[in-house]
Parts: sequence; C-alpha cells; structure tokens
Amino acid sequence: MHIRKQALAFGISAAMLGLVFAPQVQRIQAEDSVEAIIAEAEQMSTEELYKKAIEESRGQIMYGVGNSSRGATAASKFIETLQAIDPSYDGSIEWSQPKNNSIFKIIEADVQSNNHINSMTLIQDGNQIQSKMLDTGYLLNFIPKEFKEGEGVLVEGNDKPLALQTLVKVFMFNNQGEKQFKNCWDFVAEGESPMFMGVDSEPVGKNFLYMLTREDYAKMLREAFEQLPEEKQAYFQTVIDEVEADVEELGLEAADAKYALAWIRLWCEQYNEQTDDGPICNNLVDKSAVDESALIVYSKLRSVEESDSASVNHVTIAAYQDDYQGIGGYAYKHYLQVLKTSPLPWTACAFITFMTTSPEGFEAWGKDMGGYSANPACNQDHSQDGYVDGEDKFPAKNDRGGDWWLSPEKGKIVVEDPGYCAEVSEVMAEWIDGYAAR
Amino acid sequence: MASRSNTGVLGLQRRNSLKNYFRKPENILLVVLGILLTLATIVPIVSIIADTISVHPGSIDARKAKGATWTFFNWKDLFRGNLRYKNFWIPFRNTMSLAVATCVVALSYGGVFAYLITRSNMAIKKYLSAIFVFPYIMPQWTLAVVWQNLFNSRQVTGGSDGLLATLLGIYLPEWWCKGLFPSALVLGFHYAAFAYILIGGIFKNMDANLEEAASILNASKSKIFFRITLPLVKPAMISTILLVFSSAMGSYPVPHYLGYTTLSTKYVGMSVNRAGQASILAVIMMLCGVLILLVNQRSMSGRKNYTTVTGKSGQSSLVNLGRLGRHVIAAIFVVLTFVTSIFPILSFTVETFLPNPGDYSFLSTGNFSNLTTKWWVTNENLSENGMYGQLGILYNSTIWNAFKGTVFVSLVAALLAGTIGLLVGYAVSKKRRSRFAAYVNSIAFLPYLMPALAVGVSFFVIGNQLGIYNTYLLVIIAGTIKYIPFASRSSLNSMMQISAEIEEAAVIQGIPWRKRMLRILIPIQKAAILSGFLLPFMTAIRELTLFMLLCTQNKLLTTLLDYFDEMGLYAFSSGINLILIVFIIICNSVVNRLTGASLDNGIGGN
Repeated sequence: MHIRKQALAFGISAAMLGLVFAPQVQRIQAEDSVEAIIAEAEQMSTEELYKKAIEESRGQIMYGVGNSSRGATAASKFIETLQAIDPSYDGSIEWSQPKNNSIFKIIEADVQSNNHINSMTLIQDGNQIQSKMLDTGYLLNFIPKEFKEGEGVLVEGNDKPLALQTLVKVFMFNNQGEKQFKNCWDFVAEGESPMFMGVDSEPVGKNFLYMLTREDYAKMLREAFEQLPEEKQAYFQTVIDEVEADVEELGLEAADAKYALAWIRLWCEQYNEQTDDGPICNNLVDKSAVDESALIVYSKLRSVEESDSASVNHVTIAAYQDDYQGIGGYAYKHYLQVLKTSPLPWTACAFITFMTTSPEGFEAWGKDMGGYSANPACNQDHSQDGYVDGEDKFPAKNDRGGDWWLSPEKGKIVVEDPGYCAEVSEVMAEWIDGYAAR
Repeated sequence: MASRSNTGVLGLQRRNSLKNYFRKPENILLVVLGILLTLATIVPIVSIIADTISVHPGSIDARKAKGATWTFFNWKDLFRGNLRYKNFWIPFRNTMSLAVATCVVALSYGGVFAYLITRSNMAIKKYLSAIFVFPYIMPQWTLAVVWQNLFNSRQVTGGSDGLLATLLGIYLPEWWCKGLFPSALVLGFHYAAFAYILIGGIFKNMDANLEEAASILNASKSKIFFRITLPLVKPAMISTILLVFSSAMGSYPVPHYLGYTTLSTKYVGMSVNRAGQASILAVIMMLCGVLILLVNQRSMSGRKNYTTVTGKSGQSSLVNLGRLGRHVIAAIFVVLTFVTSIFPILSFTVETFLPNPGDYSFLSTGNFSNLTTKWWVTNENLSENGMYGQLGILYNSTIWNAFKGTVFVSLVAALLAGTIGLLVGYAVSKKRRSRFAAYVNSIAFLPYLMPALAVGVSFFVIGNQLGIYNTYLLVIIAGTIKYIPFASRSSLNSMMQISAEIEEAAVIQGIPWRKRMLRILIPIQKAAILSGFLLPFMTAIRELTLFMLLCTQNKLLTTLLDYFDEMGLYAFSSGINLILIVFIIICNSVVNRLTGASLDNGIGGN
C-alpha cells in the first residue's frame, strides 16, 4: 500500500515536472531547428527553397505580421508562384498589419507563448528592432543566396538585418504662396511649423533625429547652415550656442554635433504634430494650405485625386529645386525577419526570398515611387510618373530614384542605421523628449 | 479520548454548517463569483503593478537597471526625473481638468434636458429624446474628427482650411479648435446621455406631491427647485458625475485627436521607450477609479436620506413653459441636437463621396462633378485611383471581417457580462445584509469606475503574459469584466423589487433553482434584465479605448475606424461610422420591439 502511494506520488510529480518543462524543452528544440533551417536555407537556390516551402506548408496557413499592408498582396503572388511549380499546392498566407508600435508586443507575446503563430515579419524602426528584437534574440536574420550573390545588389547595409526596401520621407511645401524653402534650415526658421508625425507615435521619426548627430549628417547640416544669408545665420547661431554645452554632456563625438542639436531642438519645438502622413498630404495639397510645409513619405502623393482645390502641383519637393541646400529628408527601412519560434521556417525563408529577389515579389511596393529595393532587379522606374499622355503634368511625382535620393551629393537623405540609433538613443531619447512638441 | 471526540463533533458541525451554507444557490453563486471576479479584477491589477518595476528590453529602464530583473527606476524617474512635469504632472492636471469640465458639460446639458423632457410641457419630446442619445451611440471621437474638419484652419491650426474657414472665412481661435475646450465639449455631449438617462429616470418617477405640498405652503418656485427637486435628484447627479468623471479620465481618442495631453495620451506616447512609466500612469488612473468607488459607496449610503420617494404620484406635475416657450425651447434643442447628432451623420455621408479626404471643393465651387462613388464601389486594387491601396467599402473584406469580429465580440461579451451580472444581482439581492455580498457587489462594480484605458492596459499586460494578445478571447474577457457592472446594477435593482415571498412559494413547491430563475424571476423583470445584456452589447460595439491595446486594427470595426481616421482616410472611417450607427439603431429598435427595453427607455422615448 505504502509503495503504491509512493509510486503514485512519483508518477504525479513526474507528470507535473513534465508539464512544466516540456513546453520549455519543445521551445528550445524549435528555436534550434529554426536556426538550423535558416543556415541551410541560406545555402539553397530559390528553386530548392520553394520546393521545401511547398513540402512544409502544404494544406497549412503561414501567418505573417508586418508594418505594411502590402505584405498581403505579395503573399497572394507568392502562393501563385508556388502553385505554378506545383498545381496541387494548397497552402496560404494570412497577413496582419498591427498599428504603430504594437508589432513588437505581438512578436514578443508570440515568441514567449506556448502556441506560436507567426512565422515571419516585415518590420520597421531599426532602433527598436535592434534593442527589443535582435538583442533579445526574438528575431532571426535570413539572407537569401540569390540576394547575397545578385548582380548589383547593395548587400552592405541591407543584409543585417535584411532590408526589403528603403522608404524616403521628404521635405515638401505648398507652393501657392510666395515663401521659399531653399535650405533645410528654412523648415525650422522662426514661425515655421512643418507638419510631421509625432516622434512617439512613429518612432522612425525619432531615429531620423538620432541619425542627424552622426558625423556625416551633422556635417551636412553645418554646410547648409554656412550657405544661409547672414541674418538667418545670426538667428540660428543663438540656438547653436545654447546647445553647444549639451554636446559634451551627451557624449556626442561628431565635430559638428552642435548644428545637429540646434536643428533637432528647433524641429521638436516647432513641428505641427499630425496623426499620420495621410492627413498631412491631404492638407498640403489643398490650395488653402499656402506656404505650409511637411516631412512625409514621398509615395503619399500617388493617391491625390486632382480636384478644384487639391492638386499635386500645389506641392514642391524641396530637394528637387536646383539651388536647394542641405538634407532632403530621411530614409527608413522595412526589414524582413524570421521569428525564432517560426512554425513554418522554410516557407518564411522562401517568402522572404520571393520579396527580395524577384520583381513580382517586390511589385506590391515597387509599383509606387519612394520605396527602393537594394536589389536593382526588383525596382521599377518612376522617373516619369508625373507624365500624362507624354506631357509632364505633375513634376513632383517624377521620382528621381533611390540612387539619387541616397546620394550624399544629390538627394542627401539621412539613412537610418539601427546600430547607431540604438547606441545614441540611450543619451538622446530624453534630450529629445524634453523638447518634443507635446 | 474525550478531546478527540469533541474535535470530531466540532468538525462534523462545521461540515454540516458548510453543507447547509452551500445548499443555498445564492451562497454557491456568491463564493464562485467572488473568487472569479476577484481573480479577474485583481490579477490584472497586480500584473500591471508588477510591470512598473519590471525591466523592459529596449526601454529606458533596461539601460538604467544594468542587468537587474527588477528596478524602482521608473517610479523615481516619473516623479523626480527631468521630465516629471512633461510626463506626469501636466498630463495629470490636464486629465483632472478634462474630467471636471466634461462633468460640467454632461451634467448641465443632460440634466437640463432630462428635466425638460420629464417635468415640462416642452414640444416634440419623443423626437428629441430619441435624437439626444445619438452622440452616445456613435464612437466618441467621431465628433472630435467632425470638429476638426469644421473648425481647423491654416491660420490657426496649420494645414489646410476646414469647412467654416473655406465657406465663410471664419477663423476660430486656437482654444476653440484644440485642447481642453473642444475635448470637454465633445466628451460632455457624448456622456450627456448618462445624465439624461440617470437623472431623467428619477425625475420621471418623482412623487409630485412633495413639490405640490411645498407649493401649497407658498414656497417660491426657486425654493421648491433648490430645496426639494434638486436634493431628490442629488444621488442620480452624483452617480452621473462619478461615471462621467471616470469615463472622461480614461478617454484616449478625443484628447488625442483634439491635441490635449492627458494621462491616456501620454500612456500611449510613453509605451515605446518608457513602458514601465506608462504602466505607472495606468496604476494612477486605477487608483482614481478606486477613489471614485469609495466616493460612490459613501454617496450610496447617504441615499437613505432620500427614501421618501415611494412610488409614482397619481398626479403628473409638468412645468408649463408657456405656449411660445415650449416651442422656443424645443427649437433650441432641435438646433443643438442637430449639431451633435444629425450634422455628424450628414458629414459622414458626404465624406464618403468626396474626391480626397476633407476636400469639400464642390461646396465652394458648386462643381458637383467633383463628387465620387469610388470609396464605395471600387472593386479592384488601384492605388493611382486615390484609394491608398484599398478596395471600396462595399468590397472591402477588411472592413466586413472587422464588422463580423465586432459583432462576435460584442455578442459573446454581452452574453457573458449579462449572465454573470444577472447572477451577481440575484445573489447580492438575496444576501443583501451580508458583508461578503457587499464585497462581491463592489468588486463587480469596480471595473466600471476604472478608466477604460487602465483596464485595457492591465489586460494587455496579462494577455502578453498568457500569450493571448491579439486574440478575440482576450478582447472578450476584457469586455466581459468591464461590462458586468451594467448587468449587475440593473439585475440588482430589479431583483430588489421582487418580493422574497414569490421565490419562497416556489421553494415550498419544490421547484428547483434553475426553473425558479428561468420561469419566475427572469420573466418578471424581463425588460430590466435584458437591458443588462443590451447595454454591454451596444457599448462593446463602439468601444475603442478598452480594446485598442488588446488587438491589431483589423480585428474590430472601431480599431479599424480609428486606424482610418489616423491615416486621414475619412471616407472609410465615415463609412464605418455609418455602418455602426445603422447597426446599433437596428439592434436597439429590434430589442425595443421585442422586449420594450431601449437606451432611452421609460424616460422620454416611450
């Protein structure tokens, strides 16, 4: 009787221990296998990878989560591609697009739960990706072989983490008045309130401000400052002198950091916070928005319907002016990552390959101006998007292309670097919060 | 040996008394519901408190904690750091100002209206009563968006001119367009329905003999109003103030759209880099909820002073506004309700036919060819057609799936909240003198007085821990807990009205509890109990603040509506608003036809 009780107690204890530790063990195994699969997939050709995906996800749903709703369009095309290889393939992809920052919580919750749902993500905000996702190991990087070895692919700076595209937010202004914006300092001049998304609601905007303190971008600001007429210089000089002491206190190393801090402070104090680039664009193209300015995603101009009061021609892209001085805007990236607990890692890798190596895979984004793949084979030409029946009707829509925007001599776009953002955010975040509009 | 047998007897007695205790269904219910509601309310609160001292990877506390698992840095930094005014004191002050100002607007607008509907001979009461509750039916921030479209101007708020500036060249000052004033006014109009329903209910049932007696004693009209009428409605006014105060405090979207920094908007802003400090803001909002609960309980105990209201007077005593006056006052309310109820609906409808969001150029130019049906009927994905990559509302599966999600969540949450609330009401009414019953009643009511955002945050934290974030399950749980008070209050009130003898007679007949409930008690108070299901349903359908942190925008119609509003795609958000309003009106009238229950039931609506 006594032995039976002991055996029962042992059995219950073992079962309880099993219940407690089994999911943990399963999780570790799953993580290992996802990492191993990624390592194997990186050596495979696209064809081989697609076959693996077909094998893995037949009759199943792969869940993806992303900051861009166009992932759903790309997903449909990917499924069609797999079905072209194997007509009996019946897998599918469910795409969800969480708002703003909640994507990080979704991924964290998914990885930590015992029921993993999402396999891959399309995610923005290099700073948070670095500190919340990569440093914690929640996301794993996969670089497709064809991307790495592709002709003309800008691998460096786009591989770790793997970038789907670089999106540009550009300075623009309503041209129905007399005001001129010929220098990036004009946007922070006295009385100016450029429309911009709040840096807390869209943290890539904060990353832009972090990036300005880097050596090369601070230098661009200094050079633009030097091009200003004397009276304007005198106005800004007061602020530059005021923030000079902060440079040392914040431990910034760039020689021209004081110019960056002055510009950032004025920007934070003056910008007119809006909920999204959509309403900003709607406002800016209206003929009543005389002399208003903004820093928004370039592609928003694509959706303006010409009417009696709204027109793309009411807007000028600041950097497209021949005599414009200084930065033209900023660029952030959409990154593609595999969750470390991905239930369908082969399919996730195959889908990522599809989006980064084929024009069809990138078409959902490539069909509009302002978004550029690091793989030239995927990009489309938008240099004449403003032409109607052979006539240049909307010059603001003629995209000069990624090469032009990203060039330090031409578009002078400030490009997000996750590592740098994560490094300086430690000291800069509070400084910026102290001046931010609301 | 003797002591062993004594112990055995005591044990037997205890077992028997426990057995007897659990023989009564109301006791079982109280224990089960007490445990369940304590867990459902306290566990999320504890998790959010724990979150304030947890270290969040990528957040400012992670950098300061230097590898530790727990830290008090968030508390120190929020109250003593460089940004204490910006991150806490100013939002806190603004929140209190908003809550107080909203109470003033809701109480004066809703209270006066309730008085006029129930105690005067004002004209067209039925129409006004029905239209008055419309702002409550609509998601609260939609009026804020209408406000923006109407009053914003390039000169004052930046951007392009709104309707008033475009058509009439009127530029209103900034305090009118943004900040406390419009936020309080919009929320006040929204919550005026509370005041109307609560205060109107008392006015309607008030014994006119008291006022008539005073009148016979030559008391002046003002004296009668301030010394008799007002004290009688004081409990309802206090209830309204508490409900409106806590609701306004936790409102996120209205201050967000109208540019006013409160604890709620700050919570959302701080959750990226200061997640732990954001949780402290939620804890503070919760503490305010507890404080309101305590005030509520004190005010409830004070209500004993007003038990002179014993039933309806046979005589009705309507204040005569005069032949002209009754029409003039009605006309004023027709205009006011037009602004708060009809104009927004017209504006939503027109918005869905504009070429660009907010582009009213057809009004200034008279060129009606600018109008378009593309927002409704586009059935292919053409981004160059100005649709921002979306299909028209009629073909947009995202919108219709979110609609299904909303109906599903609202139905299940209403059924659960209604059932649990009914059982709470029944058990508490049966044991009304028991302290434990009072505790269960309070714990069931607590979530209602907690600001919605704070409840949302606590379920967000626990949802993450349980791995059920972004599931309908989490949304339903949060909705159920938050809306149980609707049902428990109406159930408790109705059960208190039923004489205990009715159930006792059934018990003597040997009728089991289930049958007593289903065949006797529930049918007697059918309308009141159904309103305990209807209110959670109606509220869940247009809820945003509570749900917005719990799921992605595509899951529910309100989160999608907010998404489109934020994106500036007003045609879609307006279309969704119309869908919501029509759906709620249909539901309300169907329930009203079938059961007699409705939002403005028994005041002026019927």
